Amino acid sequence: MNRPVRVLAMGIFAIFTVLVAAVTYHQVIVGPDYRDDPRNVRVAAAITGRERGTIITADGVVVASSEADPDDPLSFRRSYPEGPLYSHTVGYSTILFGDQGVEAFRSDELTSDRDATISGVLAALVGGDIRPKGLRLTIEHNLQSVARAALGDQRGAVVALEPRTGAVLAMVSTPDFDPNLLVGGNAAPAGEALDTDPAQPRLNRATAALFPPGSTFKVITASAAFEAGVASPGTPFPNPVELELPGSTATISNFNGQPCGPGAEVPLSTAFINSCNTIFGMLGMEVGADQLVGTAESFGFNAEPPFDIPSVASVIPPAESFEFDLPGVAQSAIGQRDVRATPLQMALAAAAVANNGEIMVPYLVDEVFNAEGIVQESAEPVVWLRATTPSSAGALADLMEGVVTSGTGRRASVPGVRIAGKTGTAEDPAGPPHAWFIGYGPVGAGPGDPQIALAVLVESGGDAGEAATGGTVAAPIAQEIFAEFFGLSSETE
Amino acid sequence: MTRNAEAALLAAAAIVASMGVSLVNLASGTGLDAQVALTFLVFAVSFGSIHMALRRWAPEGNPYLFPIAAFLTAMGFTEIYRLDPELASIQRWSLLLAGAATTAVLLFLRDEGVIMLRRYRYIFLATAVLLLLLPLLPESWPLHGAEVNGSRLWVRLELPVGMRTLSFQPGEIAKVLLTIFLASYLADRHVAMAQTGRKLGPIRLPEPRQLGPLLIAAGASFAVLVYQRDLGASLLLFALFVTMVYVATGRAAYLFAGAAIVGAGGYFAYRAFDHVQRRVFAWLHPFEDFADSGYQIVQGLFAMGSGSLTGSGLGLGRPDLIPAASTDFIFASVAEEMGFAGSIAVLAAYGLLVAAGFGIAIRSRDVFRKFLAAGLTIVIGVQAILILGGVLRLLPVTGITLPFMSYGGSSLLANMVLVALLVRASHGERT
Repeated sequence: MNRPVRVLAMGIFAIFTVLVAAVTYHQVIVGPDYRDDPRNVRVAAAITGRERGTIITADGVVVASSEADPDDPLSFRRSYPEGPLYSHTVGYSTILFGDQGVEAFRSDELTSDRDATISGVLAALVGGDIRPKGLRLTIEHNLQSVARAALGDQRGAVVALEPRTGAVLAMVSTPDFDPNLLVGGNAAPAGEALDTDPAQPRLNRATAALFPPGSTFKVITASAAFEAGVASPGTPFPNPVELELPGSTATISNFNGQPCGPGAEVPLSTAFINSCNTIFGMLGMEVGADQLVGTAESFGFNAEPPFDIPSVASVIPPAESFEFDLPGVAQSAIGQRDVRATPLQMALAAAAVANNGEIMVPYLVDEVFNAEGIVQESAEPVVWLRATTPSSAGALADLMEGVVTSGTGRRASVPGVRIAGKTGTAEDPAGPPHAWFIGYGPVGAGPGDPQIALAVLVESGGDAGEAATGGTVAAPIAQEIFAEFFGLSSETE
Repeated sequence: MTRNAEAALLAAAAIVASMGVSLVNLASGTGLDAQVALTFLVFAVSFGSIHMALRRWAPEGNPYLFPIAAFLTAMGFTEIYRLDPELASIQRWSLLLAGAATTAVLLFLRDEGVIMLRRYRYIFLATAVLLLLLPLLPESWPLHGAEVNGSRLWVRLELPVGMRTLSFQPGEIAKVLLTIFLASYLADRHVAMAQTGRKLGPIRLPEPRQLGPLLIAAGASFAVLVYQRDLGASLLLFALFVTMVYVATGRAAYLFAGAAIVGAGGYFAYRAFDHVQRRVFAWLHPFEDFADSGYQIVQGLFAMGSGSLTGSGLGLGRPDLIPAASTDFIFASVAEEMGFAGSIAVLAAYGLLVAAGFGIAIRSRDVFRKFLAAGLTIVIGVQAILILGGVLRLLPVTGITLPFMSYGGSSLLANMVLVALLVRASHGERT
């Protein structure tokens, strides 16, 4: 009579065991997945509700802050007072789209410990400061604004930094977007609109997009030639209308289809100042693939820059791939073929010339300060690479100054400041050429000089389209930035 | 002596409830208020009166069943208070009513014990069927049925005073009455059912005469419940019928036949009804239709996952995001705010309740008492399994209350009376 009761009891206990297993599975084993599921608004409520630290620019403009939520006095709402201007640098902290930019890589400092975790409670008990910390960026707000305005509605990027330290002074990528839209109530459709936009506004063109560097790469080719002892600025080169590439029907010609100035021979310096492809093609073949690739890598190619913001490695194919491809070497030497670079990389190349051949690790956060405003941590400049020797850098500086005083980069010049630079008009089979300008200033040995190095990229020629060149499209943008930086209005020109 | 342990444990449960309320208050920033004292008072009065009744009329009854029930009620009540203090205040009245009703039942059974129920089985059967039919009363009557969430299993009484309505779920009471009927009926017939019968192949069926009234009772209850689209209660009653016949006859064939009927019935329901298909889809693929049919299940899973080991803390989670958080999904709410620790405590409490119930059944010499104890235990166990299985995604969600924990007066009252019958049955269980 009791047997069936026992059987039922065992049956029910077996099922209870399964229930216990299921609870364990849902709460302990896959629990973290449920907790982090983007559709689980608990996470959202917890993140948005928490106070985050303030982010200010080098000159004290607030670019990210947490404000008390009007609907819920206990929680906070992230706000970006400058709207789109810092969308790719400061980034955003959101529920649906995660964190980006400074908001992501300095999240530890920006978040409050006031979250009832054991460590937070312990810290509070021993009198520790659990309030979120604030960050002071290296970016100059006015410079950032001018760089953004100069790009206008063209797609492109500007990276400006201090050559001696690596401190980023401005970093803009266009098109940009308003991060406030990703925080608010209509975040999902706003984010979807950004993702489906063919102009890819969320792509940070300054650090995460690769473009053929075109003639700006000649800085590296020239450096390789100086290092290898193949040529010096005065070395004369033959001056054909077009360069016939060995073992190939392809040719390299100059931008205007003309020889590189008058005469049967021209010095390398003239070829650099006038950006002659014919002669740099020859130079590249003389330098050889090993030296060219090696120098490019010492400038930072084929390595991810150790930057705060996710940055891709600029690319030059390995030397072995050019073993039976001399034309490829010639084309790579003028920054075409398979050479690709980010605007950050090319800004670092200009900074290397400005800084006697050394590239500093670029950084965006200058200081961490606590809730009382007391600085707790300051950035220390660190050398990343030795790109070239001081003597090569000096020779390159002369050539680059010539570009701005009498060459293709004249439209980057500002009165009273010695500017060095190099233009680039990079052909892209997919569309109009990309317009480049890289440069720095002031040239010379004043204390603290040079103060700024930059790269300007206007994707697919911008408003000028097929007619765009680095000298006509990118150099004027650089000029506006230099003018702002050196306290000169561009109108005074 | 054991009654002293009961008193201490009941006081502990009252403290659990009032501490829970004060934690919720602290989390919401309202601080300690009258709610804490009121909660302690209501628990103390309800369970105190039951305890005094047991001391007097069933001193040898099992002293652990009511403390377990009180603990589960306290856990559920705390979470209900956290979700909606107004519901909690109604639930407090329900607890007072349930305490009074349970005390009254113990008073009623004071002399003869549960044995006296055996005599009135057809009254219980008729009352149960009547109760199950009540929700079908037309809306225009003062006492009428009401449809909630697509299931017509509620009864509302419009009181002439003011515009107040009194709602209750008659199915909850009916399950207790039907268990008494079944225990009584099977106690009379089990010998005949087990021994006589016709062979149908390898299966020996009882005489139709023996099984007839049972089948009619079962069929009528299901028909009503299926008509009211209350899948959970149908399954519960079906499981009760099948397992009790199994207990009475000892023939496992009934279990297999029952499982086969559930399987076949489920299959046909799946083929025939859209809403069953939707529910099964939501069960199997809740994430694919997150916004609609899978929403409740996924929110329950999110709640449990977010609770993790120790929970978010009372008042600090978001169980309010789960649809039906205070009724069907009360377990997920508790799991979120009290964590894995809380859910295991709840599961262990149900396990202890079921173990004690089956223990009473096994020790009872009297057949009616044995069947009654087994049946009542099965009701609690199966009901918990049905809704917990739904919340934990082992079964489709059927929509039935979690005994003692879910918000709802009828459910609380019926389950308290159920436990009272179990305790009374254990008083002098060896006679």
